[in-house]
Amino acid sequence: MVQESVSMLLPNGIRLTIIPTAKFKTISMALFIHQELAAEKATFTALLPSVLERGSRQYPDNLTLRRELEQLYGAELTTGVHKKGERHLISCSLEMMHGKYVGEGEQMLRRGLSILGGVIGDPLVVNGGFKEEYVVQEKEQLEKTIRSLINDKALYAVERCLQEMCAEERYGVFKYGRIEDLEKIDPASLWRYYRELLSTNPMELYIVGDLDAKQAEEVARETLYFSRGPQRNNLPETAVYVEPAEARFIQEKMPVGQAKLVLGYRTNIAYDDPLYFPLVLYNGILGGFPHSKLFLNVREKASLAYYVYSRLEKQKGIMLIAAGIEGNKYEMAREIIESQVEAMARGQISELELENSRRGLINRLRVQEDNPYQHINRHLDGEVGGKKYSTAEMIRALEEVGLNDIKAVAEKIGLDTVYLLQGEEGVLPDVRQEQ
Amino acid sequence: MSDKNSKTVRQFDELQETLFCYKIYPGMLLYVLPKAGYQSKYAAFSTRFGSIDNHFRVEGSGETVKVPEGVAHFLEHKLFEDERGNVFDRFAAYGASSNAFTTFTHTTYLFSTTDHFSECLELLLDFVQEPYFTDESVSKEQGIIGQEIRMYEDNPHWRIFFDMLQSLYQHHPVREDIAGTVESIAQITPDLLYQCYRCFYHPGNMALFVVGDLDPDRVWQQVEENIARRNYKELGEIIRLYPDEPEAVLRQRTTREMVVSEPLFNLGFKDPAVAQLKGDALLRRESAMEILLDILFGPSEPLFNELYEEMLIDDRFDVGYTAEPSYGYVLIGGGTRDPDQLYERIMEAIARAKQEGLGEEQFERHRRSQLGNFMRRFNSLEFIAHNYLAYRFRGSDLFNYPAILQQITLNEVQALLEEVLVPERHAVSVIVPKKA
Repeated sequence: MVQESVSMLLPNGIRLTIIPTAKFKTISMALFIHQELAAEKATFTALLPSVLERGSRQYPDNLTLRRELEQLYGAELTTGVHKKGERHLISCSLEMMHGKYVGEGEQMLRRGLSILGGVIGDPLVVNGGFKEEYVVQEKEQLEKTIRSLINDKALYAVERCLQEMCAEERYGVFKYGRIEDLEKIDPASLWRYYRELLSTNPMELYIVGDLDAKQAEEVARETLYFSRGPQRNNLPETAVYVEPAEARFIQEKMPVGQAKLVLGYRTNIAYDDPLYFPLVLYNGILGGFPHSKLFLNVREKASLAYYVYSRLEKQKGIMLIAAGIEGNKYEMAREIIESQVEAMARGQISELELENSRRGLINRLRVQEDNPYQHINRHLDGEVGGKKYSTAEMIRALEEVGLNDIKAVAEKIGLDTVYLLQGEEGVLPDVRQEQ
Repeated sequence: MSDKNSKTVRQFDELQETLFCYKIYPGMLLYVLPKAGYQSKYAAFSTRFGSIDNHFRVEGSGETVKVPEGVAHFLEHKLFEDERGNVFDRFAAYGASSNAFTTFTHTTYLFSTTDHFSECLELLLDFVQEPYFTDESVSKEQGIIGQEIRMYEDNPHWRIFFDMLQSLYQHHPVREDIAGTVESIAQITPDLLYQCYRCFYHPGNMALFVVGDLDPDRVWQQVEENIARRNYKELGEIIRLYPDEPEAVLRQRTTREMVVSEPLFNLGFKDPAVAQLKGDALLRRESAMEILLDILFGPSEPLFNELYEEMLIDDRFDVGYTAEPSYGYVLIGGGTRDPDQLYERIMEAIARAKQEGLGEEQFERHRRSQLGNFMRRFNSLEFIAHNYLAYRFRGSDLFNYPAILQQITLNEVQALLEEVLVPERHAVSVIVPKKA
């Protein structure tokens, strides 16, 4: 069973949350630095994790770092950037097998945490900047990552829809930043940016696993000892409220076989809004499950798509509907999708649809407790969204939602942007075979 | 195979897990792994019927059947529907989520739930054992699967994978897409589905894995009752017919143009020796090969770091080995600015490793790391259930992995390097950016 989490501040202001549970075979730890999502900062923020991961003062290159991880039974170190609402987060996480399987305990926790602490708090600094070759190489790798969005057409279409929809908002900023900003970044400017971030921005550390909270706290104090300055407490909130005028239609053409349709809606419901759980249920009924309206009508009845779903950008109050369709069936698909949204607004929701979706959502919440990162993500959502819900509170909130609440949600939802990635007729991939 | 019902309890000390194994007349295998503290209960019901099983006969029946590509996958889609409608809805009523997938070698139906476990299990057993195919429902599914095929056609990673398999293999059905083609699925009829169903969905060809905070014997009792009331007769052995596959690859290089940001590169080595291996020997070869690949290409070794620093690879560079009883291959690849240079460098590194040999320190370090990787994945109930069944169908036992890993020797790994990573049996597939 998962016990109650314990939360405390380390002397340097890092918030430590320990989630003790014996059911996993691992100890999972994750450190987050919060930053505002903003166009002029995003590329700096996005570049940092990979530069940090190249080496710390203690393990100054990838070879030494990776070998230490291997000695820790193949511990996995991952860094990344995430977009949660209009927050930009840097993460550094380490997952390792629990020492109890090989007769080692606290010592492994200490070694793991000290790698994590070193990568974030004690980076390799040369002549007042990050190591130059690391910055140069990681800039190139980041450019590759930004360009590679196109390789996954479904993801590309969703990201393009959000970019168009939020072109005037911070949410429209791509989490990997912009290629044109890369040339402005050098080892010294990146280090200056990071030093300030490290000193002043909110930081959180989570540790999940079979451990003694007191002992873990002690180890964390000793391994994440770097000093920090006065903390800023003024990261801007996510802007949620937008009343869309006429829906915009954006079309792009590409030599692909399947067209991708994405509809972006404004819900005008924030994560801490009393209507948030009714919105979650609304989305479930519409397109969150294989029993939902969209799956049933677009796929099972009209045979138009293999995948069709709706989902929430919950921290931003946006709902997306996406489907992969035959290019010439665009109008039919859009019509069926919009008619389902209208049915929601008219309250055409059967008792079965309502209850099955409610049960499905409650099941999902419970299942999430079986994954260490979902525990962490739950806490993080509360931190960013300004309201923390326990599993029991979320379940209770879902149980209380009635048809009237869903109706209230439907009244607030408006279509903002329709994005279509259209194939070029008759264009098929060419193959060359050599003996 | 099909004796009376039986039960064995197996203790795995390294994993600190206890697995309950049952055999149910006429030949179905049931595994229950109790997992204290987990909220979800997960069940996977699999038949050894995958996309490569397209030519077969049942012993005693005489008749040899050849079916169009994509039938196993099509059948998987169609089992979710019967005269009462959609099976998803029935799981939803219990709050459970259900799904299914088809691979080269098997089809798996699954659900995950936190409540009403025995009702869900009953539902799973029932819908998989009660087929219902009509002309109308088959034709509707052709449209849906057509879009699924289209989706994969636009996926460069999927395309380069099949370009590789079509280069490595001359005749083996692993060359063909699991979902088939729009043309091949157009030939599917209800009769054809029933014919495949009767053969491959017999309990003697199936296994069920259940994991969660559960009482194993109660699960056993429920499954046994469900199977018993269907009055199955024993089925003769299913003979799967595969064409003779030469050791040589079909072609050395395939290039395709697609909308990608930079070239994608795959290098493959065909491993014909797997055909002589069964059971834990296959698992042992796979484990040894993983150590080898990690020594040669892992991020803790010089080659990876050199290639990375020269921008020839990125951190999505991937290396893997597949060992099935009828086919096996090594796959190496990822995005690159220069496929030709990357190819040269990898081939050189392999040649150099053969000359210089592998080190004992490296070997132990990678072996240690592999053990931890495996243990970490045991957090996931899905991982355990799916992989247990996949290895079971190959005749091996996933839970033996930690013990097998300890038996592997450096010499064995060195021998695999000489035997498998040979220029005579390699192929390259490349995807280059299409000019818009």
